[in-house]
Amino acid sequence: MSNSILETILEPGELRVVFQPIFRIEGAARSVDSVEALVRGPQGTHFERADILFDYVRRKKAEAVVDQRCIAAICDAAEGLPSGVRINVNVHASTLGQNCGFADFFRRQVQKHLLALDRITVELVEHAPSCNIPELMNNLNRLREWGVRIALDDVGTGQSNYRMMLDCHPDYFKLDAYFVRDLTTDPKRCAVVESVVALANALDSSVVAEGVPSNEDLSHLEAIGVELAQANLLCPALTVKQLLACDFFSDPAFGTPVAEETAEQSVQSIDRAFAKAAAATQSFYT
Amino acid sequence: MADKILILDDDEQLVEAYRDYLTGNGYTVDCARELEEAQSLLAHFSYSVLITDLRLSKLAFGGLDLVKYVRANSFATRIIVLTAYGWPELKAEAAASGADLFLRKPTELRELGNAIDLLVGAGV
Repeated sequence: MSNSILETILEPGELRVVFQPIFRIEGAARSVDSVEALVRGPQGTHFERADILFDYVRRKKAEAVVDQRCIAAICDAAEGLPSGVRINVNVHASTLGQNCGFADFFRRQVQKHLLALDRITVELVEHAPSCNIPELMNNLNRLREWGVRIALDDVGTGQSNYRMMLDCHPDYFKLDAYFVRDLTTDPKRCAVVESVVALANALDSSVVAEGVPSNEDLSHLEAIGVELAQANLLCPALTVKQLLACDFFSDPAFGTPVAEETAEQSVQSIDRAFAKAAAATQSFYT
Repeated sequence: MADKILILDDDEQLVEAYRDYLTGNGYTVDCARELEEAQSLLAHFSYSVLITDLRLSKLAFGGLDLVKYVRANSFATRIIVLTAYGWPELKAEAAASGADLFLRKPTELRELGNAIDLLVGAGV
């Protein structure tokens, strides 16, 4: 009998992890602040795409079990990153809103892979209205005590609302890509971004602009006061090997990477990743 | 009076092909690109058959939501779900949600036409 989709997703080795750098955009010299771990589903299936994978997972109400499997896969992959690189991981708020032992599992996994907990930022995604806020707060407080930072994902859309901003005290607001385009020509959109920056400043948080489509928008974001950006324009999601082949971590503060690919192989695979990211932007859904 | 058919798919070329073929075969056809648009049409008009893609822009399984919407509102509409997903589990879920037929994409126009004739002929 063939496995169900969920069983297939949960099989060891089926989830793959790529990392997309988040850049500091203040000034001319852009440096990597951290990387976001992005999980892809079973290769060669429709579930390879994260949107389809996690839409299915949420439909099956299997966020907690899949989040655990994702954390394990991310920790495995992150072992190859330089020891100074900070790593963002996505976790459903509903997972942290359950008393399912996720926080303890998270700590064990991170420590088992000899990663420092203060290198990790948990990005809260899909803030289901039914989420158990007291339990979520309890787990977030535990993560903070261990040195983990908190980011609120998809700010401005869905359930990333003012209450979550107040209750979760995020270190980062990740501003949804919807708001960060056409900023030079759309004053209303610009006003929304400015209000988010002001709010973040008042709450002692930083704003990360996601999916910035153009250099003009990037310059505008910097002028508004956005400190961080994550976009295919700057760098698409790459495997650890591809990332190490880029010159992002040359600062000794990042630690010493160990690259296994030849330089030529790495350049070719990075070119393919950029082309794939550009194609994905063109045809998001087919 | 010609049977009315509603098509929900965000692939404009495909929708045009379906519309031309089905109109040429005597059906009246309405088209929607998004879930909410289809729900609104279903709430205001009576359709003999709904043809919906399983995957919609913004909603990877939005077609299933529409099937459930039709059944929850007891609309007298037969439903054909189209999809490129090859997982039997999704076919079973579509059937359990109330779909009458499940066709794999790419679907030949003649195959789609035969399926509609079958459903319309069977009555609701």
